[in-house]
Amino acid sequence: MSETLADVRIRCLEDTDLGHITGIDEKIGGSYRPEVWERRMAYYSRRDPDASVVAESGGRVIGFMFGEIRSGEFGMEEPTGWIEVLGVDPDARGKAIGRQLAESIMDYFRRSGATTVRTMVDAEMVGIERFFESLGFEPASLRPFVKKLSEGA
Amino acid sequence: MTKTHLPAKFHDAVVKWQQTFLPDYDFLIENWDKYFPRDRQFELCAFRELGICNEVECGDAEGEPKRTKAAALHPEQAGHLLGAIRAQASTEFGSIQQHQLTLARAQNEEEQFWILRMMAEELRHGYQMLHLLLDDDWSSVTDASSEDLVEETLSMRTGSHILGAFNVDFDSFVDNAVFCALIDRVGKYQLNMQRVSAYKPMAESMPQMLREEAFHLAAGVVPLRRWMEQAARELPYVSTSDIQKTINKWFPRGLEMFGDERGGGTNVRFGLKPMKNLEAQDLYIEEVGKLVRDLNMRYIRARIPGLDLAQAEQVLNRILADRGTDQGIAWEDLVHLPDRAFFRRRGVPAFELAGWQGESFEDLPSYLEHLRRHLPDAYRASRDFRHYVEQAQKLTGGEVTLREAVSAMPGLRRVGGVCPCSKSVRWVAETPQSGAAAGDSGSAA
Repeated sequence: MSETLADVRIRCLEDTDLGHITGIDEKIGGSYRPEVWERRMAYYSRRDPDASVVAESGGRVIGFMFGEIRSGEFGMEEPTGWIEVLGVDPDARGKAIGRQLAESIMDYFRRSGATTVRTMVDAEMVGIERFFESLGFEPASLRPFVKKLSEGA
Repeated sequence: MTKTHLPAKFHDAVVKWQQTFLPDYDFLIENWDKYFPRDRQFELCAFRELGICNEVECGDAEGEPKRTKAAALHPEQAGHLLGAIRAQASTEFGSIQQHQLTLARAQNEEEQFWILRMMAEELRHGYQMLHLLLDDDWSSVTDASSEDLVEETLSMRTGSHILGAFNVDFDSFVDNAVFCALIDRVGKYQLNMQRVSAYKPMAESMPQMLREEAFHLAAGVVPLRRWMEQAARELPYVSTSDIQKTINKWFPRGLEMFGDERGGGTNVRFGLKPMKNLEAQDLYIEEVGKLVRDLNMRYIRARIPGLDLAQAEQVLNRILADRGTDQGIAWEDLVHLPDRAFFRRRGVPAFELAGWQGESFEDLPSYLEHLRRHLPDAYRASRDFRHYVEQAQKLTGGEVTLREAVSAMPGLRRVGGVCPCSKSVRWVAETPQSGAAAGDSGSAA
């Protein structure tokens, strides 16, 4: 069972969160990539800023989750909430930050008329898979297929 | 969400206005997919959110049903509301006129397109406010006809808008970026507060405007971050000093957009906003402080790539603590939040001789010399700055009172620069033009 932080506030993503989000990514992956996160944040903020949220504690962002509602893709006509980007500060793990973020974003999806929420997880990321299973996600019949586009292929 | 168009003659008036003040609109639409693939195509219309709170959320009538008609409001309440809608409309159209001045000077095509999209969305926001004016009967609080209310808004120019920030000319693309980062941020606060409005049509208008406003902030902040990095790498484009001076130009005007620090209680009592002016202004200052810190972190990490996040934060904290130099980076190399009393012409600190870092000055000449060093050169050549200096001199010389000096500023003008009855330029044509929009279609978006 995870412990929780008392002063966590879940709120919509803001432009001034970039530094903290870049910092979390750097802690996780070891690379400083401000341009990457700047582009992602600009993308999600212009698509639907209410569908991307952060967890804040003590004036710092300690987790984030970006998503949006789409329909008509892969033959799925129903409005579907997609959770696409997730990160939690390694120092704040085990405190139900991801769960609070997911509950907030799913509540928004529900209020906005989405009937389903979907995400994709790398099969090697067992921890992330377990996290989504703990939220009630189940494996779907829709499977990703991929092909490298090399020259002459 | 519902989607509505203005009645044809008013829709045509806005299109005519757009053709004059936003001539690149068609270019934006034609190239939309190049910069915004998968984003819904822009459309000039008014959106109303469904399912918002039905009860008044603050003030004397808290818990009562939200009013759907102006006639159901107390006359004084309706008067305040009408003033807010007109002011909001003025800011939306006014900002387009300002951005257009320097849009072509962008060095980067993507940044230019972002600003262009933002201008189109401001046009939609102005359209949204006209929708509020036209969708209700305001005759209990104004003698102006619907035509005159729209005509007055569309006739305003830089210099005759209701709020001071929209009467200041842009001098370079740095203004476009800093304006989005600072002035649109005030807009975000105003929209957020109006989201709880006791007047339901206003509350329903805010959610989509707020969604679009989030991108407007990015359109300003992203170029600023890039310029900070370029400055750290000693590229000869926009310097941190250029950015600082432009922040100094706009930040005081942004603070004044919240209204006098002692006011705002009436709006709270009427249920039109949940916060008094000072409360909202304090939150804004805190948020701009975060932005400034973020810009400085980008500078430090670009200047010393070997630092990790924690090390860069330590360097920044040391520089800010002693205003000195650390690892070759001086306090002056960074950007800083100006003092809230600096270069103010309205509100509690109006015409105080407060320096940009809060220092006080004994006499006006010393203060004007301080302004000379800390405001952009091109701005100091403007009519707006000259007006400030003249009023400050008259105030110091005893020729005018503080109240008169404050009132004399363009920011307190309450009507458009062109008389609504003037026939010299009319945006609202009596006869609908071809290609008129369907009035009040009310379709789902």
